[in-house]
Amino acid sequence: MIATTAATACFHCGEPVPPDTSFQIHYRTTTQPACCAGCEAVAQSIIDAGLDAYYAQREQPAARAQPLPDELRQQLQLYDDPGLQQSFVHAAENEREAALLIEGITCAACIWLNERQIGRLPGVLGVSINYTSHRARVRWDATQTQLSTILNAVAAIGYQAQPYDQARQEQAREKARKSALLRLWIAGLSMMQVMMFTVPVYLTGEGNIDAKWLLLLNIASFAMTLPVVLFSSLPFYRSAWRDLRLGRTGMDLPVSIGVLAAFIASSYSLLTGHGAIYFDSVGMFVFLLLGGRYLEQAARLRAGAALERLVKLTPAFAHHLPDWPARDSREVAVGHLQAGDVVLVRAGETFAADGIVLEGQSAANEALLTGESAPVSKQAGSKVVGGSINGSSPLVVQIDATGEQTRLAGIVRLLDRALAEKPRIAEQADRIAGGFVAALLLVALAAWLFWHWHDPAHALPIAIAVLVISCPCALSLATPVALTAATGRLAQLGLLVSRGHALAGLAHVSDVVFDKTGTLTLGTPSLTQTIPLAMTAQDGLARAAALEHASEHPLALAFRSSTSWTASEIHNHPGGGLTGLIDGVPHAIGHASFVAQHCHGPAPAELMPGAIYLVDAQRWLAGFVVADALRDDAAATVAALQQAGKQVHLLSGDRQTKADEVATQIGINHVRAEATPSDKLAYLQQLQRDGARVLMVGDGVNDAPVLAAADISIAMANGVDVAQASGDAVLLENRLSTITQALHVATATRRIIRQNLTWALGYNLIALPLALAGLVTPWLASLGMASSSLLVVLNALRLVRSGAR
Amino acid sequence: MDNQATYNYKVVRQFALMSVVWGIVGMLIGVIIASQLVWPELNFGPWFHFGRLRALHTSAVIFAFGGCGLIATSYYVVQRTCNVRLISDKLAAFTFWGYQAVIIACVITYPLGITFNKEYAEMEWPIKLLLAVVWVAYAIVFFGTLAKRKVKHIYVANWFYGAFILAVTLLHVVNSAFIPVSMWKSYSAYAGAVDAMVQWWYGHNAVGFFLTAGFLGMMYYFVPKQAGRPIYSYRLSVVHFWALSFTYMWAGPHHLHYTALPDWTQSLGMVFSLILLAPSWGGMINGIMTLSGAWHKLRTDPVLKFLITALSFYGMSTFEGPMMAIKSVNALSHYTDWTVGHVHSGALGWVAMITIGSMYYLIPRLFNREAMHSIKLIEVHFWIATLGILLYISSMWIAGVTQGLMWRAVNPDGTLTYAFIDAVKATHPYYFVRALGGLCFLSGMVLMLYNVLRTVTEGKAVDAEIPAVAAHA
Amino acid sequence: MESLYLLIPLSVLLIFVVGAIFWWSVKGGQFDDLEGPAYRILHDDDAPQKERPNGDGIQKTQDSSSDER
Repeated sequence: MIATTAATACFHCGEPVPPDTSFQIHYRTTTQPACCAGCEAVAQSIIDAGLDAYYAQREQPAARAQPLPDELRQQLQLYDDPGLQQSFVHAAENEREAALLIEGITCAACIWLNERQIGRLPGVLGVSINYTSHRARVRWDATQTQLSTILNAVAAIGYQAQPYDQARQEQAREKARKSALLRLWIAGLSMMQVMMFTVPVYLTGEGNIDAKWLLLLNIASFAMTLPVVLFSSLPFYRSAWRDLRLGRTGMDLPVSIGVLAAFIASSYSLLTGHGAIYFDSVGMFVFLLLGGRYLEQAARLRAGAALERLVKLTPAFAHHLPDWPARDSREVAVGHLQAGDVVLVRAGETFAADGIVLEGQSAANEALLTGESAPVSKQAGSKVVGGSINGSSPLVVQIDATGEQTRLAGIVRLLDRALAEKPRIAEQADRIAGGFVAALLLVALAAWLFWHWHDPAHALPIAIAVLVISCPCALSLATPVALTAATGRLAQLGLLVSRGHALAGLAHVSDVVFDKTGTLTLGTPSLTQTIPLAMTAQDGLARAAALEHASEHPLALAFRSSTSWTASEIHNHPGGGLTGLIDGVPHAIGHASFVAQHCHGPAPAELMPGAIYLVDAQRWLAGFVVADALRDDAAATVAALQQAGKQVHLLSGDRQTKADEVATQIGINHVRAEATPSDKLAYLQQLQRDGARVLMVGDGVNDAPVLAAADISIAMANGVDVAQASGDAVLLENRLSTITQALHVATATRRIIRQNLTWALGYNLIALPLALAGLVTPWLASLGMASSSLLVVLNALRLVRSGAR
Repeated sequence: MDNQATYNYKVVRQFALMSVVWGIVGMLIGVIIASQLVWPELNFGPWFHFGRLRALHTSAVIFAFGGCGLIATSYYVVQRTCNVRLISDKLAAFTFWGYQAVIIACVITYPLGITFNKEYAEMEWPIKLLLAVVWVAYAIVFFGTLAKRKVKHIYVANWFYGAFILAVTLLHVVNSAFIPVSMWKSYSAYAGAVDAMVQWWYGHNAVGFFLTAGFLGMMYYFVPKQAGRPIYSYRLSVVHFWALSFTYMWAGPHHLHYTALPDWTQSLGMVFSLILLAPSWGGMINGIMTLSGAWHKLRTDPVLKFLITALSFYGMSTFEGPMMAIKSVNALSHYTDWTVGHVHSGALGWVAMITIGSMYYLIPRLFNREAMHSIKLIEVHFWIATLGILLYISSMWIAGVTQGLMWRAVNPDGTLTYAFIDAVKATHPYYFVRALGGLCFLSGMVLMLYNVLRTVTEGKAVDAEIPAVAAHA
Repeated sequence: MESLYLLIPLSVLLIFVVGAIFWWSVKGGQFDDLEGPAYRILHDDDAPQKERPNGDGIQKTQDSSSDER
């Protein structure tokens, strides 16, 4: 056996193995250490299932395995309820199919492991897990197995599987993506093929090819162009038709006319045997347009992924108290809860819906709503919010809003809408293009009339050349392509932009407003100082850790470390601290005033304000200063911003002294402390009235009005998913310095969009007269249009490497 | 033993071993004909005359060595990636014996002077018919296995193999249209320029789908497997597949630059040959970049050296090819030994190297061994083969350019500067170097055969179990 | 040159066939996950069977496969 010293890493999760434990994993011919019973059990079940190859293949250690409480196991049983399954299970006779979201996946080997684990269950007909989205599709025979068996099997190897009921919406999106891809491919295919038939004609010039071969080539081109006109271009016709009915002109109108006119005129020429033929132009035109749109759509979808995580916030089950005030609880699916139902929410659990506390005293972590991690105390009569977490002790809650009526659902809806909205700047480009288009149509018509008068044989080709060459293709590509490239670049840097206008806005920012807690600071309390009193700091800390071990209170997190002490009979005194027995001796930990009640000994002469003390009945043992530490790069970022000429502000709901302390530490001059959300909003609006363009960096949803009012908002990803999605952009790795980089990228983006628009407009202005004069054939027009678009795309791609300093 | 619980390795083993054997036969003939060019006295009688043996050499190397390698690996890959046994053991066995019969028939008839007179398709009509039947059986086995796969996604290597099988069927059928006049003589159903056009449509696409698509299938499976890393970009591999399948079809006429073919079809051939560069390099980059972050493996693993060097040669010859398709370059290179050098940088550098690498991966697994008998020998094989290729292509390049320049050189009065024999004399030393290069490559193959035989005798022919995995949804 | 009468229609036909194959593969979800398959082939363990060090593991695999049949 391998000696388990403190330095040994757990074979399963890679965390250090605590000393004096002897959990073992028998892997192949060796015995490996494990850090806890959870990891031991999970690893053993993986190995027993013959899936030990997982350990050879994985690139990252697994997450630490937590044993599944029996209660949770029972909850999984509930998923077998057909009523509950209705929303996410697709049933056909005995066959069932469901989408599951699997959590805990860190690398490709995890996917392999889960697939094998699920696949080897008798009755499972099929399983596949998407590597990108970590979503599993499972099919099983309902006569042989149950959904809960599958979920349990996943839990047994240390992952969590949750039914994913967004599948329907997902399906629609997926279908749209597939058909867009198909249209694009068909157009590309046809373009290439028609080009092959056409290139020799261009290369050899008039008369070098026998008429019969030309005819054959043209017929083949016609056949290859049909799918483009009839299938690939459909979205253009639809949207053009919609615009027409609404009395507007959009980009798609000249596109549709161009495509159809070119196709029909070419077909006519083919039929009559004289006139120009430009099937190649049709394919190329449609392919390039569809390509631009596909890129833009893909970028938007990627941003939407953040939203999906929100839905997971609400738990699936609640402890219903049907006969309240009787205490008998029954597990029910949250979907079955109704307003008026009474539920029990234990410490550490998530509130399933909005409601009012009937009984109990506790503190709730509403970080997702307020952004401040300090718990909010709850007693009878307080309102609680679905998705927030109950901190210290059980609460009995009467539900007053469920499902779509909850605040969480409201937030989700808002975000959904925000994501669907088109970036303002792209809209603007579309508007310009729209006007351009209307003018273009008139010009083309005029050209046709003019030439019809003078030289009827050339009227149609010229009109089509005008339409094609000056189609504002590059114009409409100019912005989305640059935005897509920049969005990709920012995501690489660690900033996920969820709304298009954020990028454009970032370039204009004059003032940057930071929230304090969780933004400039880490947001979680950490131990900054230990004061030895009756015992050494180390001993004191070990005992404190034992006491705080079971507590859900945020401050307790600061004490999380392995300890050889164990505490029993721990009691939580809301608003004060904890008491408990260590080695049979009563101890207390908490604020000075609280512990003083549990200690007969004299208090130390100097009490640190806000510090936490550990006492036994006779002595004050040790003191701890727990504070919210500054992020490493906060000062540097603020300095860089100020250097770039931005005004930097600090807004905080915290006490003035604390806010000032932080401000002086990192060099911010404008500070507003003790601000309520409406104060913050007022401050922001005042700035805006004075002509500032404000970037707000925060991490909460209760900041939502402030975030929304800011010209641009960036949310930190450390808190909860809700917070993430509420900003225009999300800082994924919480590196503040990314903000300065993002400003560089945004400026570069603005520059490139301008260049692109200038080029596109300039090109059109030059090409149009040439086409009008009849100097451009349709194929040359297509080529001109294509190379113009290509130039725009290539220019935009420069953004992929921008902002690297 | 329950057949359905194991993979059919038997047919893979057969094809894999024969691939090595035919490789030696084909390359031996290559060395013989190369020597005949250096020492014309070596042309013994009509049967072993250069003109007859050359066709045997190309067919033996491409179809016997390359073909057996492709079929072996495709059977292996389709089973392993689809998680299912070949659809029919009997049909698979038929493809093996049938294919060997075709090869042996060629080995007998070509020296006898029985030939259809079409490049890469010299076999006479009875053999052509047999090949067609065997090939259809192969298609049935492959696609049938694909159809009953247990994994929903079809791995990209199978797409390449599939395209290779389908395209070869089509090419063989169209190009082989014949009018028989006797048991051992037939004529092409096409005539004149049409015949030439069809022949090079065939010849070019044989290169495209047999020597490129098929071996890319091999590459997309064995490079990631041997490197132990996923392919650099799977997305790129899918795009690569579709792009390559489309552009290849059209570049054929570049084989007929400056012939009776209409000028515009030649131009078409040129343009698409140039476009072809993009997808070809897409594949090469994808393969080589698979190693990014694991380059150190290249130092110690000779099998990986084979695979990655193969990709480098693939990149080189797919660059050289389009260049040679440019009409002005072609004016110099056409009919010279430069073309021969180009073909061999593809055939030895790409086709042979990737096949050898794949076989070194495959054979120990087929015989239930951890690795080949001797890794050292593989290393030696690699260096000797690389040396052989370098000697071969550099000598042919110099010879080719010399020939081209000498043929076109004219005196101020318009007469040719050199007689044809002058160019022949000038190239003689390079022919010797070429034969030496071929000999190096051949001796590498002999080492391989020894290594394989040792591995086979030490190992045991065991069919691997199909991992018990439920079907993918 | 008459070969063009054969080759061009053939190529058009071919393109339509290929288009159909592509359509089938998009609808069939062949392009849904363009990362996973690259890993999947690596997870297929084709190492020789008898030399797997964990005799235990392989026993289990056989058991479970016979369970399912």
